[in-house]
Amino acid sequence: MQRCVGATMAAVAAMAAGWSLFSGAPVAAQQRASAPPPAAQKAGAAAAQFTADPMWPKPLPNGWILGSVTGVAVDAQDHVWIVHRGLPSLTARTEAGTGTTPPTAELCCKAAPPVLEFDQAGTLISSFDWPDGIDKPESPGGIAVDARNVWITAAGFPEAPARRGGGAGGGRAGGGAAGGGAGAARAAGATPPAAPPTPPPPPKTDAHVLQFTRDGKFVRQIGKPGVLEGNASKTSLNRPAGIEIDAAANEIYVADGHGNRRVVVFDAATGDYKRHWGAYGEAPDDANPGPYSASAPAAKQFRTVSCVTIAKDGNVYVCDRQNDRIQVFTKAGKFVKEAMLQKDTLANGSVWDIALSSDAAQQYLFVADGSDQKVFVLNRSTLAPVGDFGTGGRWPGAFAGVGSVAVDSRGNIYTGETFEGKRVQKFAPRR
Amino acid sequence: MLHRRNLLIAGAFAVVIAGLGLTARALDLAAAQGGGTVQAPKFEVDPMWPKPLPNNMILGQVIGVGVDAQDHVWIVHRSDLISAADTGQEQNPPTASCCRRAPPIMEFAPDGTLLRSWGGPGPGYEWPESNHGIAIDHKGLVWIGGNVGADAQILKFTQDGKFVAQYGKSGQNKGSNDPENFGRPAKIFIDPKANEAYIADGYGNKRVVVVDADTGKFKRFWGAYGNKPDDTNLGPYNPDAPPVQQFRNPVHCSDMSNDGLVYVCDRPNNRLQVFTREGKFVKEAFFHKKTLGDGAVWDVAFSRDPQQKYLYMADGKNERVNVLLRESLEVLTSFGDGGRQPGQFFAVHSIVTDSKGNLYTTETYEGRRLQKFTYKGIMAVPREQGVVWPTGK
Repeated sequence: MQRCVGATMAAVAAMAAGWSLFSGAPVAAQQRASAPPPAAQKAGAAAAQFTADPMWPKPLPNGWILGSVTGVAVDAQDHVWIVHRGLPSLTARTEAGTGTTPPTAELCCKAAPPVLEFDQAGTLISSFDWPDGIDKPESPGGIAVDARNVWITAAGFPEAPARRGGGAGGGRAGGGAAGGGAGAARAAGATPPAAPPTPPPPPKTDAHVLQFTRDGKFVRQIGKPGVLEGNASKTSLNRPAGIEIDAAANEIYVADGHGNRRVVVFDAATGDYKRHWGAYGEAPDDANPGPYSASAPAAKQFRTVSCVTIAKDGNVYVCDRQNDRIQVFTKAGKFVKEAMLQKDTLANGSVWDIALSSDAAQQYLFVADGSDQKVFVLNRSTLAPVGDFGTGGRWPGAFAGVGSVAVDSRGNIYTGETFEGKRVQKFAPRR
Repeated sequence: MLHRRNLLIAGAFAVVIAGLGLTARALDLAAAQGGGTVQAPKFEVDPMWPKPLPNNMILGQVIGVGVDAQDHVWIVHRSDLISAADTGQEQNPPTASCCRRAPPIMEFAPDGTLLRSWGGPGPGYEWPESNHGIAIDHKGLVWIGGNVGADAQILKFTQDGKFVAQYGKSGQNKGSNDPENFGRPAKIFIDPKANEAYIADGYGNKRVVVVDADTGKFKRFWGAYGNKPDDTNLGPYNPDAPPVQQFRNPVHCSDMSNDGLVYVCDRPNNRLQVFTREGKFVKEAFFHKKTLGDGAVWDVAFSRDPQQKYLYMADGKNERVNVLLRESLEVLTSFGDGGRQPGQFFAVHSIVTDSKGNLYTTETYEGRRLQKFTYKGIMAVPREQGVVWPTGK
């Protein structure tokens, strides 16, 4: 056989050795990782090790399923909030059987509301849909939650435009995107897809941030869809991706984003603009930097600003996703330092989202890398990787597009998978 | 909704039945009156099976599963349909450190260890445009079909991937009465006693074909109700219309029980038809009749008791595994739901049992998994079990 990849026996044996099998046992995350021993093990006790909990969260009610998960956050009660793309990210013909008009199945499935809150046990305890009368996101991005508010960015569909046309199985259920690609006919076999409904007009580019109460009442919006005034604008955004609340200063930090190349700070009480900056703390530039190259000199501008995360000591960590780098700033936007991660990663890049460890000193950064399908553990002071877990796949502890990460007060890590991953997973520290 | 209708009937006549000679069916249904449970095989998903794949391998749409005499689990998946974005490690230049396509045919040990993996085009045979369905016969040979485009052939290999035989020629299908070629065949079942292979034929044709397992020579074939198959376009499925007299595409399974009954998945017609070995129609049953598009009857497997009392049915549209009484074709209970966690499904496509009664399922489209459900014995289970996670008991 020409494509006889075949497992090396050594690799299989190495992984077989580590399994502990009993009903209900958590899955060892490292053992879902690739064949060489993961760096977390090499680093010894320096970094915590994590095990996936395959039975978290509990099954959703009502035949609900998740679309592509774009954001995950943990609130002060250690409740886990996620936002996902819902129906527009489901495949109409194969996935949204009871969620289409007319329904094509009797029992399953329909999209869960886009914003979901889980308690520590993994029980869904609240959810809300976009209220009528607001500029609903074409696709949500990041989420941040405080005692009274839920903030969500409207990030559009930036990562893989080709997928919007439908992957294997046909057109997207939302109707806003063109129907089935090459994969559709093959996956469909002989069953023709139902005639698509008249498509709605193409949506305006997502360019806003939405503020809700925790029960989903609309409070405020920053930016307007389709209003794209560039990197110097004090009122507009362009596909903002990540969001963070600085409770002490009552400020909102926006990673702006997939369209712009900057971090923008707003007053959390009024939504008023306060300041912004680009890579190295310089003024951001509207010029298109072209594709990333690992051999080129370091880009002077951000390529994709996909996250902003603030440490207790005031350092601000920014994901420059397609540049494969993390940049660190003061809250005023003064550049502190930077580090590359997986610098050979092309396409969507390696630095998708960042969470901080739960210890008082926040010794570690957890970086979600949806291209390499891993969560990297970095020493926060050196920004050097000390471990990682995960590999590609659909089983517990494996990832398909891990794009968001958050940590609770007990040190558990929660990941969200976008694209066709469509999951939230929990990883508990191994004690 | 056969299941619900029978529940009502059972409710109305429970007292009467109790006073009469009790059949197994009546007992099972009467049990359902108490506490909403029924005596049926119980399963729990094993979230840690199989073991992680080596070398950053990932699966495509998994469109076939079989078990051999050693209880090894074989799958076939569409490695060629995995996107470039998911296979960054294989791009030139590589775009990421993960992932690689696993070879299309994979063998797992009972403990979930990947043992062998192979498959793809080679000299002397026509690899399908889209492989589909896998079976391991009593001689240990591996059979696959193909369900797209010109696929009209069945391939047979040794367990090491050495080519043995091809039956039918790609591009040569002449329709549902062709005596030599298949029409995008979906699944193969081998009857060891008669040394015959039953082909669910398929995505292009509307029939079951029986061939000699050593030569591939056609012996007989038939359509729905045992009729001569007819390729007239039936139009779209309509749940309110009388049952059509032909299968719709795809004819998705044709599996034989120990007592010589052949169970045929007429997938988009939402029905299971039962035949003798010779193709004489015996009976039929309908499932979730309002299901459109892909339909509700995707694949079946038999329980491993000598009588094969239960039939397990995969429904990749409603995302359930149904547990049927084989004698009556009534649904006793169902488990599963939509989703990406263990025990949930996205397009559960294929199903098989091992000698211990464990169930294995595969998922196509973006499900792309092989899952194991451990057999726990016959006990009281709810009618709708939902996601069957391990309880630790």
